[in-house]
Amino acid sequence: MVPLRFLSPAARLAVAAFAFVVSPSLARAQSLPAAQALALAQAMPPTGLSASAAAPAAPRRADASFRWEDHPTLLIGKNTRIAFRARVKFDERRSDAPIPDDEDTTLDLARKRIGVEGEIAGLFDFQVERELQDDDPWRDVYINYRQFDAVQVQAGKFKLPFSLDENTGATNLDFAYRSLIASHLAPGRDRGWMVHGRVANRILRYEAGVFEHDGRNARPRNPERVFGDRTIAVRVGVQPFRTSKTPLEDLLVGVAMTRSDLSGLAVGLPGLRARTPLDLEFFESDVWIKGRRERRGYEVRWRPGPVGLKAEYIKVTDERLEQSVEDTDLSPFLAKGWYVSGTVALTGEKKADGLDAPKRPFGRGGIGAVEVGMRLEEITYGSVATDDEPSTSPRADVIPGNADRVTTFGVNWYLNRWIKVQFNLIRDKITDPSQGPLPSQPTFWSRVLRFQFTL
Amino acid sequence: MSLHRTAAVALFTVMIGGRGSTVENSRDISLESRMVASREFSTAEPRPLGAQSSTDLFDDTTLHEVRLFVHSKDLATLRARYLENINTPADIQIDGTRVRNVAIRSRGGGSRNPDKLGLRVDFDFYTRGRRFRGLEAIVLDNFWQDEALIREQLAMKVFRQMGEVAPRESFCRLYLNNQFQGVYGLVEEIDPDFSARETGESNGYLYEYHYRFLFNGEDLGPGFDLYKMIFEARNHELEPDEQLYGPIRDLFHDMNEPDDALWFERVGQRLDLPQFMRSLAIEAFVGEGDGLLGYAGMNNFYLYRSPATQRHQIFPWDRDLSFRFDTTSLERGLDQNLIFRRAFAQPELKTIYLDTIENTARMAMENNWLETEIDRLVALIDAPNREPTPYTKHFTEAEFDTQVAFLRNLARVRPQLLIDEVARNR
Repeated sequence: MVPLRFLSPAARLAVAAFAFVVSPSLARAQSLPAAQALALAQAMPPTGLSASAAAPAAPRRADASFRWEDHPTLLIGKNTRIAFRARVKFDERRSDAPIPDDEDTTLDLARKRIGVEGEIAGLFDFQVERELQDDDPWRDVYINYRQFDAVQVQAGKFKLPFSLDENTGATNLDFAYRSLIASHLAPGRDRGWMVHGRVANRILRYEAGVFEHDGRNARPRNPERVFGDRTIAVRVGVQPFRTSKTPLEDLLVGVAMTRSDLSGLAVGLPGLRARTPLDLEFFESDVWIKGRRERRGYEVRWRPGPVGLKAEYIKVTDERLEQSVEDTDLSPFLAKGWYVSGTVALTGEKKADGLDAPKRPFGRGGIGAVEVGMRLEEITYGSVATDDEPSTSPRADVIPGNADRVTTFGVNWYLNRWIKVQFNLIRDKITDPSQGPLPSQPTFWSRVLRFQFTL
Repeated sequence: MSLHRTAAVALFTVMIGGRGSTVENSRDISLESRMVASREFSTAEPRPLGAQSSTDLFDDTTLHEVRLFVHSKDLATLRARYLENINTPADIQIDGTRVRNVAIRSRGGGSRNPDKLGLRVDFDFYTRGRRFRGLEAIVLDNFWQDEALIREQLAMKVFRQMGEVAPRESFCRLYLNNQFQGVYGLVEEIDPDFSARETGESNGYLYEYHYRFLFNGEDLGPGFDLYKMIFEARNHELEPDEQLYGPIRDLFHDMNEPDDALWFERVGQRLDLPQFMRSLAIEAFVGEGDGLLGYAGMNNFYLYRSPATQRHQIFPWDRDLSFRFDTTSLERGLDQNLIFRRAFAQPELKTIYLDTIENTARMAMENNWLETEIDRLVALIDAPNREPTPYTKHFTEAEFDTQVAFLRNLARVRPQLLIDEVARNR
């Protein structure tokens, strides 16, 4: 037997996850009614996860009960519930390109997130989520008034309604990392409010809101970098065949936009980051910008049976008013990109239902759910103008820019409802490698192995 | 005569045979056509810009027009922080040809000021590998320390007339955001392109001397730190110190060799002694006060090392303190500068020194060349120098006139004084 301390953190987590999964008592608890599962959990030795799951159930009251649904859940009356959530993920990464602060090109990242979500009196949804290790720990903190399906109002801190991939939950990603355009060009979270709903038999969905800024994705800590002020975001999606009961039923087509002024119209450098999937910089946008930032997004999703297909195109422009050497306007700074991805559940689960509840979980006569996927994507930085000699001058009309074209091959293994293992093989191709993480070659490979535990 | 001495004399003979010191042996201008870019850090091929050659740019028979366009905020920063080398984006228009996205920065030592900015224009900084008329950069000399504005060009012209390597220069009217800034000098920068053009060697080592402390050729020890401080490598920067700075350390180590014969042999292998003495002689003729024999030690020169012979030579730079005195001693700096003192003690080298001074003086006197040259240059700049500028001029028009008169007189009397002094020193 190899002592645990000799294993890498990722391997240790894998061992722990495996022990959790094959534990006969807890495995049985997955299929038991919640009350029985709770009783079983209470009977288990007070170690690790089982103890934490059992603890909240002790003070039972007449109008409140604790149940194990998808998550440990506190029920208060008929229409109020609070579900406790937790997620731990662990990445082991290797790359041909040098990963900063790590000489052997290996970087292990562990992230822990906890939170609660639920509903109040059947009228409100809420969510409070926090990272345990982060300078900006609060994630989603919002409340949503949902009495009417056609018109709901949400306020707090949450993701701006822009980009299909960015608004996919972290636990449900098809690949270890979101697409580059979702990670860097979509706004991400910010404080604000929005009106949203579904109309026309839920064929049409809409979201429109006003936010304090334009999200965290384009807001680095460097004070020279500017970002959007008050931001208007609108997203509209259509499922034209939703009522057709055909394979096209799930097809979703959407468009979105955001608009904001950049840092009170102050002059600065763009906050948009140009990074590879492993967060390695391949372009530094050191050009002066001033004016308005606009995003345009187009998205398609289709999930017939075990297959999932997604595609997006995002374009971001930052104006450069009065920034030429003669104090006249320059062509806007431009960041744009696209991705196309496809997945197939080899074990037959329906993609639209999610794969996190495998038909035959691991350790219970099955192997869990296995899915393979591939994503092609490209992200490009430069200027709208292209009709002059490019220059790295911060006041050049034509910016030389750079681009990363990425191919990702992925395997997802959902052992059961709680545990997911992902392996991604990533190929980066940098247009101008001299600006990239590996100046000696334009193409390099990376590998990511992720263990994810979600409660 | 010892074997060493004999070998050294033979070597010396080869050296002076290969490089004359008279006007007749002046360098072949066609070397310019052999321009080779040799900057190691640049992977890009030089991209020429502008149909004309740099010969047109440095045509000193005409007054060029240079316009710089700089963002108002950048210009304010450039003026506020003129003591720093902050590269600033700009467009430049030279005689009607516009070059976009160049970098300009404040430059100079004592001439730096926020009003009449001394500027370096870099064509390559934001567009790697780009050249304008074969040049990576040019200098816009503000003539801040010269009331007559022509000393720098006059001195460099004398160097070139005598067949020595020296930057080419011309005059221009400079406009900054369409506002007249005064008369400036368009000066060819000494860079790896320059050394390649002038020597015909594509891979030589070029160092810019920086005044950091009083230095007159002393041995600075076995380490490289002090040498790196005063000799900034302008190419081959990525090579190991031993390769880059070892030959300079060895040069100044041998420079302090006590035995004269050994000194001659060893230093002669590391320094082009005849070229060095010719440079000193021309500097003595122009009476430069802040050059190789400067008032506070050596200053204002570049050191070049041939990859073929490993021998160093001197390129002069910034001679705007020349022609200040109508009399001077030929032995000025002899006590102070170790290299000059040791070289002057070698009869062959002393002869070269005196010959060069005499030849330079005779060249200046022939058909009143020096005085004619002064008249020609003054005619180019006289009127524009009197035009108003947005800043208060550093020198008055009366000072300009006085200094021009002084130079005309100097051109008439100084050459003969030097010839007489040479005769007394032989």
